Amino acid sequence: MMTETRRSRLRPLAAVLTAALLTTGCGGPAPSGDGDDGKVSGTVRLLTPIFEGADGKTVLEKQLADFKSKHPDVAVEVDYTTYAKLNEKLTTSIAGGRPYDVMLMGVGWIPPFAAKGALAELDENKQDLTKRYNERVVQPGIYQDKVYGLPIMLDTRFGIYRKDIFAQAGITAPPSNFTELREMARKLTVRDGSGKLTRAGVDILSNDLRQTFLPLMWANGGELFTPDGKPAFNSPQAVGALQLMTDIIRTDKSEDFGFTQPGATSLPLAQGRAAMMVGHNNHLLAIEEQAPELVKEDKIGFFMINNERPAMFQGGTLATVSAKSQHPAAAKALVRFLTDEQASLAANEQRGNVPALNGLADSDYVKSNKAAQFAMENLDAAFSEGGVPAWLEIRGDFKAAIEAALLGQKTPQQALDELAAKAQAAIAKG
Amino acid sequence: MTTTLESVSVASANRAPRPPRRRRLGADRRRAAYLMLAPSVIHLVWWIGLPVVATFGLAFTHYDVIAGTIQWAGLDNFREIFADDIWNRSIWHTIIFTFFTVPVAMAIAVFIAVLLNQQIRARAWYRAAFFMPHITATVAIALVWMWMFEPTLGLFNLLLDRVGVNGPAWLSDPDWAMPAVILVSIWKGIGLKMLIYLAALQNIPHDLYEAADLDGASGLRRFFAITLPLLKPATFFVFIVSMIDAFQVFDQVYVLTPDGGPANSTTVMTYEIYRTAFSEFNISVACAQSLVLFAFLLVLTVIGRRLTGKDADEA
Repeated sequence: MMTETRRSRLRPLAAVLTAALLTTGCGGPAPSGDGDDGKVSGTVRLLTPIFEGADGKTVLEKQLADFKSKHPDVAVEVDYTTYAKLNEKLTTSIAGGRPYDVMLMGVGWIPPFAAKGALAELDENKQDLTKRYNERVVQPGIYQDKVYGLPIMLDTRFGIYRKDIFAQAGITAPPSNFTELREMARKLTVRDGSGKLTRAGVDILSNDLRQTFLPLMWANGGELFTPDGKPAFNSPQAVGALQLMTDIIRTDKSEDFGFTQPGATSLPLAQGRAAMMVGHNNHLLAIEEQAPELVKEDKIGFFMINNERPAMFQGGTLATVSAKSQHPAAAKALVRFLTDEQASLAANEQRGNVPALNGLADSDYVKSNKAAQFAMENLDAAFSEGGVPAWLEIRGDFKAAIEAALLGQKTPQQALDELAAKAQAAIAKG
Repeated sequence: MTTTLESVSVASANRAPRPPRRRRLGADRRRAAYLMLAPSVIHLVWWIGLPVVATFGLAFTHYDVIAGTIQWAGLDNFREIFADDIWNRSIWHTIIFTFFTVPVAMAIAVFIAVLLNQQIRARAWYRAAFFMPHITATVAIALVWMWMFEPTLGLFNLLLDRVGVNGPAWLSDPDWAMPAVILVSIWKGIGLKMLIYLAALQNIPHDLYEAADLDGASGLRRFFAITLPLLKPATFFVFIVSMIDAFQVFDQVYVLTPDGGPANSTTVMTYEIYRTAFSEFNISVACAQSLVLFAFLLVLTVIGRRLTGKDADEA
């Protein structure tokens, strides 16, 4: 009761302070025009992190011209950003009281936003969606059995290997379990006379560490959270996955910590400085740019991370509608448009990503992109991160915990136990 | 006594009735002054004053930016941040960063300024070269340095390789990441410090050096007895500005070592504030962290003032 009273007294203060802190823009949305005649109208603000640069803008503008022809009374104002700056844009717009009508956000973001009432429920149901999408692709857009996000594209992570290097070493197939992974990595590692690493047997550092650890954990039979939302990433299976990463670096020395890092100017696999890696589907684009002959001569292969079960990391981008949108019908129309075959195919082609719609598996783009094809064929073994409202607070702490294990500062069990305790505190805080 | 009283009353009688025209003129001028000041005052209040007040207010609340709810928190946010090992580490990293990029860089800047104050060939070119990093975009600089620090193909390790040294993974090694960031920051920041010292050096009266020469003072003696004491006002200015700058470092750390660097070895206070606010959406805790940063800057400025300010004023 006391809390409620304080809360209600503080609400006006919050509004003033937030407005002051974020120095909101002036003005407000134009009057709503969602008509009774079935036509939608109004000005819809779209926040997108996936149409980057001049090329991305051109692609989206072309799509929006089509949208405009279908919905002539809807104007779309686009705010282009990147995933690195998406949080800032979302925070300031929501806190400023003028959220974007349509927000494109990542997998794992739906529960945090939906739980706090920031997202509008979409007029979709799970059963219908599973006819158009793989069930695993639909799941990240659902919170408490309600659909809040529709997928546009998938960012997947799995094993990528150099067929030519494997063949030179007499290895005929990629690893099918953790034991084989370690053995092959040891065999494929090359150091010069001074002990300097010239080729990593397996590169687990070029990809984001959390997104490398998670597919290993899932492949080992682990889960991120229990069904009732408690941290499960310190289970024996999860510890086993981190132990594998630690063994690769510290025991087998199949890669040195610091040998490479995410976003490095050159990809070790493309240069022959790594024989295999846990990588992103669009690493294929990087390889095509850095060593096009490898793709032309079919020297790049893909494999599912496997131990107790096959696993692939599935991230992606979902289209959502703000609960405070002044034009919900127009915003939902835009979401439907952005997630339809034509617009989502254009978005995926532009980024080298994996289409979310089943219907696009036979598209020329997917047929020409072996990484996208591989990912779409294996979506039944795809796992997504997130699932709890506190995920955005938790996810940033994975990197330091994994690094602490890889550097020998903590055992995998200690690192994950501490991480789980921290996550539990964030979940309890609500 | 009577005379004094009379003179006072006469004086006050003379002063009291001001001509109406002058008073009106004064009011007009005041109005014009307020009008002209208004844009900058509104700008300051809106963009600086209100956010500062908001930061102080929100630091003592539990504010959920997504849900739009707020509760009084008292000192909870401060307890939370000081119980956070990563935040405490970020304070320590910021202090280390400041130590190396302020006093050490200032010493190097004085040295370079003294050298470039001599009559040497291509002096203007050298001055421009030292100042160039300051005016170049930090992100561009950081990207170039990233390439130089690259462990296998980078310039540093290729050079070290030639002399038989196996170079470290500069930006990925927890032991080397912070020194690498400090090196870039010193290189980038030295130009401005050097420029200020150069301006101050040119204001030192030349006859002092002539007198010292007549007394047979060595170059070193002249530097410590004349140059350095007379640079104190500039030193105070450079110290305060550089210290505030160092405590607010963000961009080069963020680009060179994303996500706080390997095992959080380069995370600094500003990055933690950013991460808390925009990665975790925890605005109240970020405001509490900002207040701690503000307190640090305030205390350090006062200490700096005490150490160098008095003499600077006297000089």
